[in-house]
Amino acid sequence: MNKILKNFDGFKLITTPAITVVFLLFASMLVFYFISSYPAIERYGIDLFIRNVWIAAEEASKEVYGLAAPIWGSIYTSIIAIIFAVPLSIAYAIYVNDYAPQKLKYPLIIISDIMAGLPTIIYGIWGALILVPLLRDHVMKFLYENFSFIPLFSYPPITGYCYLSAGILLGIMVIPFATAIIREAYAMIPTVYKEGLYALGATRYEATKVLIGYIKPAILSGFILAFGRALGETVAVSLVIGNSFNLTYELFAPGYTISSLIANQFGNAPIYQYMTPTLYAGGLVLFLIGLVVNIIGLYYLKRWRSHVSH
Amino acid sequence: MKKGVVLLLGILLIIPIISLSGCMGTEENTQPQETTTTELTTTSKTPVTIRTSGATFPKYQIQKWIAEYQKINPNVKIEYEGGGSGKGQKDFLMGLTHIGRTDPPVKEEMWKKFLETGDQPLQFPEVVGAVVITYNLPEIGDHTLKLSRDVLADIFLGKIEYWDDERIKKLNPEVADKLPHEKIIVVHRSDSSGTTAIFTTFLSMISEEWAKEVGSGKLVDWPVDKMGRGVGGKGNPGVINTLKSTKYSIAYTELSYTIENNLPTAAIENRKGKFIKPTTETIKAAVAGVKTYIPDPKEGYKEDTKQLLDAPGENAYPIVAFTHFLVWENKDHKHYTPEEAKAIKDFLRWVLTEGQKPENLAPGYIGLPEEVAEIGLKAVDMIKE
Amino acid sequence: MFHTEYKKLRVLKEKVFLFTIGALTLLAILPLFHIIISIFLKGVPVIAERGLSFITETFSNGGIGPAIIGTLILTFITTIIGVPLAFLAGTYAYEFPESFVGRATKVLLQIMLEFPTILVGTFIAGVVVFPMGTYSALAGALALAIILMPYVAIYTEEAMAEIPKIYKEGGYALGCTRTQVIFKVITKMAKKGILTGVLIGMAKVAGETAPLLYTAGGLYESYPTSLFEPIGALPLLIYNLVQSPSPEDHKMAWGAALVMLIIFLGIFVPIRYSLKKDIKI
Repeated sequence: MNKILKNFDGFKLITTPAITVVFLLFASMLVFYFISSYPAIERYGIDLFIRNVWIAAEEASKEVYGLAAPIWGSIYTSIIAIIFAVPLSIAYAIYVNDYAPQKLKYPLIIISDIMAGLPTIIYGIWGALILVPLLRDHVMKFLYENFSFIPLFSYPPITGYCYLSAGILLGIMVIPFATAIIREAYAMIPTVYKEGLYALGATRYEATKVLIGYIKPAILSGFILAFGRALGETVAVSLVIGNSFNLTYELFAPGYTISSLIANQFGNAPIYQYMTPTLYAGGLVLFLIGLVVNIIGLYYLKRWRSHVSH
Repeated sequence: MKKGVVLLLGILLIIPIISLSGCMGTEENTQPQETTTTELTTTSKTPVTIRTSGATFPKYQIQKWIAEYQKINPNVKIEYEGGGSGKGQKDFLMGLTHIGRTDPPVKEEMWKKFLETGDQPLQFPEVVGAVVITYNLPEIGDHTLKLSRDVLADIFLGKIEYWDDERIKKLNPEVADKLPHEKIIVVHRSDSSGTTAIFTTFLSMISEEWAKEVGSGKLVDWPVDKMGRGVGGKGNPGVINTLKSTKYSIAYTELSYTIENNLPTAAIENRKGKFIKPTTETIKAAVAGVKTYIPDPKEGYKEDTKQLLDAPGENAYPIVAFTHFLVWENKDHKHYTPEEAKAIKDFLRWVLTEGQKPENLAPGYIGLPEEVAEIGLKAVDMIKE
Repeated sequence: MFHTEYKKLRVLKEKVFLFTIGALTLLAILPLFHIIISIFLKGVPVIAERGLSFITETFSNGGIGPAIIGTLILTFITTIIGVPLAFLAGTYAYEFPESFVGRATKVLLQIMLEFPTILVGTFIAGVVVFPMGTYSALAGALALAIILMPYVAIYTEEAMAEIPKIYKEGGYALGCTRTQVIFKVITKMAKKGILTGVLIGMAKVAGETAPLLYTAGGLYESYPTSLFEPIGALPLLIYNLVQSPSPEDHKMAWGAALVMLIIFLGIFVPIRYSLKKDIKI
């Protein structure tokens, strides 16, 4: 008996409260978001999520909100980000692992880590004051003037603050993140495979092609996780997205994402009766989308890893 | 019920914090010591920090007052925060700021919410400013455009689409051939804004169509947004930022922003049919022409932004307004400590007397008429230390 | 003949391929250099002009001193709140990797790592700031602690998992309790990895803006003195300044961004280099 006690509790006694706090924190956040958003959900029902309307009024009876535009904006900008990041991060990962001269390897890895850790506000200030004017004057104007018959480019690039700018900035921000996952997966490929391919006389291009096919599931989950990360980014996006309620696929139109909407309106929301619950409802949506995306990404990554190591 | 749950969650959170506060308390004491000993040796009294947030309409004026006041009172630190009138009212209600700033007087419903806190709010004007129309038209540079009342309303309604519209040309024959065939981009506020409230109230006064279709308020649904020609900016600063980087745009803002940023302003047709450019003189003329009724600071007032708008004088600029401070009477030290209350009173007294003198006014603002400043001083005296 | 043609094609493909991934890699890292160079170009003149007073003076005197101190204090309090909890949670996940709670903890930590930071901020605003009636350093630090925890916990767990089992068994063989084995033997051996996690987590939270938006409040005219009053932070200050139209404010923002970049690189690069051996290729 004594021995069991001696072995058992000390450790559990110390760690269990910590675990409890972590779980309670998570649970209370979920509960908090549900309760805080309830008044808006009760009042507007499903319209809250599928309508694009934002009428604030001091008389509560006149208030109407619908979050369709920001929800769409969050998903749309993250998709643009992933499309932008896919080729770059795959190339980056392959180059570092297989082709970079030995001298360049460590610097390249460290650069990627710096990019991943760089404060988002640094991306934000650069995005707002340098990237956006650059994109507007050299990319968007050109596309608009020459290709505006394509619906994607038909919105005049007025300020440059738009879905595309937000998507590209997000893309730059998630590159190191996706790269790290792909690189890790690539490194996990048993060396026998590579040696086998070269032994068959494959060129490096051919070998890489086969290996990429081999780690496809890991690449996919890397991008799912990167998508989740792009969804939640706030500060940098709110500085470049233009902040207006536009429900459109046109790349040069200003928009909103859920997080930039919260960053922008949370400050004045409490003077309106239903705006704070609406914003919390937006937060809840973000919370749930993020949760689902991350769980899927983590699950696939884990399955692939255990598959490889067996 | 909801409060109960929130409280419960709060407690759940606070337990682990308290359990950790043992080690935190000691660290907290050591950390600031390092900084305070090096930084604050010059002053013997402990400094007081006053926070003010809200309307960006008086930004340059408030910042000027803060700079001047801190020079003579190095022990009082004043933190300026923007965010718009909506945020000013909310921060004030929640006790997140000491002095709330709002352009339009607080509406009755909000006033009731203030009273529910158990303390008495006080509201009084601090300075006079003008909402001006500014534009980014490289072809004409800083030439002053003339805009009649119906043209102004129609531009913001989206009915006039291009800069070279016949009606704009007719009003401005000198630059008629220079006006480009470009779409007019309307820049407006994206946050809950007093400047918007003042401007939309004016538009509602001069255009029936505007009153019916859009109305007035701190946040309105801009008709131009649906035509793809509207862009939002956060705070007056955000609007100016957008205007500067967007060719062929037009915006409304406070006069000081156009002065600070060297932007042109339009001459607006006033009640007498004259086209008036916003300047110190024309704003003064507007203030002089109106017999203002300012209620007791304790009463609060139903939103009445019309006060100084569309003033009758020949030379009066039509879009002029007071902007207001909100402070608490501080019953039972509910909102301010005695030191804070004293610092706030001293600062506000200075603002309403010395602060109204021309040397302490920022360009683009006009001092309060004396009888209006008196009302503010009366309110300041009510604050309990 | 045909054979050589084919071979040529393969070699050509190989060359095109190599060139393409080289170019794409360059494109991927280009933004970082552009960012660093622009911040230096725009920030150096500002700091050169104002000298030391830029990092010691208050805002209306043209300096960002309170914001720097604010960030340091916030990071410090965050570490004190977050690290012990995270360390214990990490050890739990290490010790019971097969139990339901242990696995759930690990998944939860990974999810929290990807959690939108603004939601943490509005959560703390709702449960701490509004009930307290004031923004405070404490609220800011709590929000940051929620973000710090998963970093430290996951690094702790991973660092411990890399210690060979034999040490643990040795500990037990000597008659140590589990507490002693984990906290004395394993922790000591995994010290470096855990410390890295703590430092990387700290670098991360020092640069966070969104969780502070509605919790910290801001304090730029005087130095912070109390945990229960508002506090400033560098990223928060930059965020506010970027949104202003005045060139003067933009200058301040660039200067502040440079200070932040230097602090970040100064902490981050040495840590990363010291771990050079651990980098997997």
